[in-house]
Amino acid sequence: MELLRPGPLPLLLVIIGALMITGAMLSSPSQRAGVPAVLGFLALGLIGGGLGLRESLFHSYSSYFNLGTVGLVLILFDGGLNTPTTLLNRGLLPASLLATVGVISSSALCAICGWMLGLPWKQAFLLGAIVAPTDAAAVFPILRGSGLQLKRRIAMTLELEAGLNDPVAVALTISLSQALAFRRPFSLAAATAIPVALMLGALIGILVGYSGRLLLQQARLFAGGLYPIMTIALALLAFGLAALLQGSGFLAVYVASLVLGNSRLPYHAGILRVHDATAWLSQIGLYLMLGSLPNPSELLAVAPAGIAVALFLALVARPISVALCLLPLRYPMSEIFYIGWVGLRGAIPIVLATYPVLIGAPGALSMFKVVFFIVLVSTLIPGATVRWLTAILGLQTDERPAPPAVLELVSTRVLTGAEIASFTIDQSSAACGARISDLPLPQESTLILLIRDSELIPPRGTTELRKDDHVYVLCRPEEKPLVHLIFGHPEED
Amino acid sequence: MKITEILTADMVVPDMSGTTKSQVLRELAQPLANGHRELDLATITAVLAERERLGSTAIGDGIAIPHGKMPGVKQILGTFGRHRKGVDFESLDGKPTHLFFALIAPEDSTSLHLKALARVSRLFKDSTFRDRLMAARDAQEIYGLIVAEDARY
Repeated sequence: MELLRPGPLPLLLVIIGALMITGAMLSSPSQRAGVPAVLGFLALGLIGGGLGLRESLFHSYSSYFNLGTVGLVLILFDGGLNTPTTLLNRGLLPASLLATVGVISSSALCAICGWMLGLPWKQAFLLGAIVAPTDAAAVFPILRGSGLQLKRRIAMTLELEAGLNDPVAVALTISLSQALAFRRPFSLAAATAIPVALMLGALIGILVGYSGRLLLQQARLFAGGLYPIMTIALALLAFGLAALLQGSGFLAVYVASLVLGNSRLPYHAGILRVHDATAWLSQIGLYLMLGSLPNPSELLAVAPAGIAVALFLALVARPISVALCLLPLRYPMSEIFYIGWVGLRGAIPIVLATYPVLIGAPGALSMFKVVFFIVLVSTLIPGATVRWLTAILGLQTDERPAPPAVLELVSTRVLTGAEIASFTIDQSSAACGARISDLPLPQESTLILLIRDSELIPPRGTTELRKDDHVYVLCRPEEKPLVHLIFGHPEED
Repeated sequence: MKITEILTADMVVPDMSGTTKSQVLRELAQPLANGHRELDLATITAVLAERERLGSTAIGDGIAIPHGKMPGVKQILGTFGRHRKGVDFESLDGKPTHLFFALIAPEDSTSLHLKALARVSRLFKDSTFRDRLMAARDAQEIYGLIVAEDARY
């Protein structure tokens, strides 16, 4: 092992490279088997830790915390970029409740569990705050991989909740950790600062989002690749500015990305691709970090307590908190149960858990190991069951999964005029079985591409549309109603 | 194609009262089932509902054009319904839907089916025509208005 100690960069890069390739490849076959990729990442992290990654890359918990925060910023930003505001309107109220009342209630319930297991109250509360936030990035790959389409309202609630619930948990974690480390009582003043921080975060997010949009639309950058650089910079700026002013950085990032994601940006498709990749990189990196940090032998010592808290969280605290928030909004029981069940924990608790260690709060190190188990168990139980649960509760929609190919226009200019919409031809659609020349398309609409299985077909007047074909239609916004009437609902909305 | 080839006066429902999508579709299917013995009410409703699953046929401006193909139908059949209060039909513009024109087509006449769809959607383009439909007293007046509007093209 001497050779692998800090120092030789080439060897370090070989190890990291190999872990990343294995990590990326893990994500698809493991989904099919029903076991989330997260487990594989954690196992790889343990291996990496054994190979000396711990000593050479992450010298201290502070580098974990800093790297982890940047990773979270990138994951959140990607989430916001892909959230359409049309769905935001419907999901905002339930998600905000879950992100505030839900986080506080599941922290408190978890604290009771921790206290019963022998933790002092403050530590128990801190643990509760750390493990409260959920992670949509952990849920969605599983669903996508299985070809299931979750009902929009549920998918939206889960995704928005995950985007919004970090700030409250972060604020709680920071003030509780400081109370512990500096032996201060946990003051009410700290608690009242949270709403102020949230408002400030939202405000700065809006500000960065809108001024960023203006900047992107006005700037004439030399190369397309520079546009994603601008958006990454905006993500970092939003977080940094908000945090400097004592506002919630995570909320600022999420709000800024919602604004930008719902704008017409130059090089839009390219920007989305890059952020997709940075989010994946962060995700894999965070799990590798979590896995590489503890010693496997030390882990075993806290296993019983860790698994107990994790089970309590998954089976009691989370479902009760979700019911508390969603019952008043008259969600059906099946949906409440489902949202309660799939509260997967991912990257956020990992980063949060490094904070108390960083400032020397008592008991923080063992708490970090407990978090390891919580992420593990909360991924294993709902992760392995989420697919059949979706089917049993009948919560999948009938919409078709994505087509085998996606047509995108990449341009460094903002394009105006007509838009491209894609449709799957269903048996019940009026266009099924029709020749293209028979389609009563509006004056300024054209069918531009037909995809059948994995074959690209140039559409001609005599081409007949069949069930399960994917068609791309270029049309003016005002002609959408008739186009929708002919084909059904577009795929990506 | 003329609307009169698709719609007859007895296929107009001047006052619909359903509050859900499925109730409204049933109300639209009712006159067809009454007028054509070989057609079953539940089947017509199911055919219309099947297309709604793909995405709402409420195209905005208070208009919806539910449609579908059905075995055993010999020609394109239409019914018209008016809902004074308006109903949430998941329309494109998010507004309540008041005027419904349902189409049931034979399985093998895709081209005619599409022509009828286009014809009906163009019929409702004019907002003053829509206002007059809303203000009409009874089924007879509604039918007269539709025939007159159709004759303009």
